Amino acid sequence: MAVCTGCSLLCEDIELTLKTGAISQVKNLCRKGHGHFQALFTERIVPKIDGQEVSVDQAITKAVDILRNAKHPLLYGWSNSALEAQRVGIDLGKKLGATIDDTSSFCQGILMELVLTGKLPTCTLDDVRNFADTSVFWGADPSNSHPRLLSRFAYYPRGSKRQKSYEEERNCLVVDVRKSATAKLCSNYFRVPPGGDADFIASVIDVLDGKIPKYGDKKRMIDLGTILRKTEYGVIFPGVGLVYALQDKIELLKTLVAKLNEITTFKVVPMVEHYNMRGFNQLLLDDSGSINRVSFHSGQVTHGPENSIMAAAKICDAALVIGSDPLSSLPFGTAKSLAGVSLIAIDPRRSLTTDAAQVVIPSAMYGLEAGGSAIRMDGVRIEFEPIVKSDLLSDEQILARIKEEI
Amino acid sequence: MQVVVTVVTFRDIFQNEAEKKSRYSEDYRKLSAQITLDKQDMAGLGVKDGQNVLVKNDVGSVVVAVKASEDDSHPGLAFMVNSPWSNQLVRDDVCETNIPGFKGISAQVSPSGESVTQISELFQRMKAQGA
Ligand code: SF4
Repeated sequence: MAVCTGCSLLCEDIELTLKTGAISQVKNLCRKGHGHFQALFTERIVPKIDGQEVSVDQAITKAVDILRNAKHPLLYGWSNSALEAQRVGIDLGKKLGATIDDTSSFCQGILMELVLTGKLPTCTLDDVRNFADTSVFWGADPSNSHPRLLSRFAYYPRGSKRQKSYEEERNCLVVDVRKSATAKLCSNYFRVPPGGDADFIASVIDVLDGKIPKYGDKKRMIDLGTILRKTEYGVIFPGVGLVYALQDKIELLKTLVAKLNEITTFKVVPMVEHYNMRGFNQLLLDDSGSINRVSFHSGQVTHGPENSIMAAAKICDAALVIGSDPLSSLPFGTAKSLAGVSLIAIDPRRSLTTDAAQVVIPSAMYGLEAGGSAIRMDGVRIEFEPIVKSDLLSDEQILARIKEEI
Repeated sequence: MQVVVTVVTFRDIFQNEAEKKSRYSEDYRKLSAQITLDKQDMAGLGVKDGQNVLVKNDVGSVVVAVKASEDDSHPGLAFMVNSPWSNQLVRDDVCETNIPGFKGISAQVSPSGESVTQISELFQRMKAQGA
């Protein structure tokens, strides 16, 4: 049995047979996971310095050289690395006096912080399967981002308290700007205009208070209030859509959840995308008191937006990017800044970031070629073993060598 | 001819799968370099499904193919899959939270006779101006 590291559900029930160069038989993988496993055979890379193929040892030595001479090094990525590698990465950051940030900085970070610091009530996905009768996907489209969430936990399975499942016992609500694949599947879809989530929350609070809602279709909002009131165990799954819409008004979500909990039980499980973003956030929180955007410059630990990838990309003179492709995933201006600094890319596969990097160090794919552990989106720790033999170094081994040589 | 739209980005499992095969593939480009427009906006622009449009704002510009929306009417609202193409239009001078506005990109759309922007060109833009 293999574990899929294709998304933060970390499905542990994957059965597969591999033949040289291909997957010959597979059970339980979703389309996204299948793509993830196929990635084992495409766009793999070799160690390079300035575009020329070198040995791994030479690439590591060059990386050490760049980091040692940098005044403002930035270490970025992390959410696609195992906990063991993240641990070494944070220690490397301290040793270098570097700025360290992960992908949560531009997606689920502000929400994850509330969950990890106990400011929002949360639960495990096993609780969702066993107890939840209402799941709210808000600015989230699991059918595309976490394809097995509905089948393994949130909607279709029969749980200990939910034997009648979706036919009778489970509600699935979607709040989104777009009629997503998940919205088409769920019985209750509420469309919000871009940025209209704050008003939508205000209306939900109004109906829960027995008032006439100010925004939205009054009848539908009152019906929604009825569903929420009748819920025994509800779970809100906020996606990046909600986080982007609320931003500095994220407190509104807290207010709504507190209000719901005056009436019944409601939990929040953020729709973390990458398989171990939560792991990195937890490790850094335990270590430095913040989940992301930390600087260890001059032996001081500081935290703030000035250490976010968007800000740090503009002032760093060297960047180590691990398991992430910021040149593809970040705004043009940030990508452009990163493309202009001494860039070290550690990645199993080719990307715009490895193409732009001065030093490229190929790594083993976690879950496929390297073992380790990660924190699922709901906080449960999952261990995984490699399923194929590989000579490639893992992120942990590469980082440990860099740290040792510095 | 031009319409002003708010572009909201989203995730697509087929594009994700294409990316896993290769970020440099034709499949990935087709599934990424695309904008879903409301039928009313398409009529205003005089463009049909599959035709190319220039999407631009003060951050950047890309030529992408039009996909007709199958959703209920939403004039002024457009959708793009999250990709290096949509990121050409995303501001990085952001508010206090320092989260870029991936979900509310203001842009102008106009018909284009040019071919869809290639990933190699997006890369060159980053490299050329990086410093
Ligand atoms: S849902 Fe996520 S973890 Fe599970 S098989 Fe699909 S991609 Fe892999």
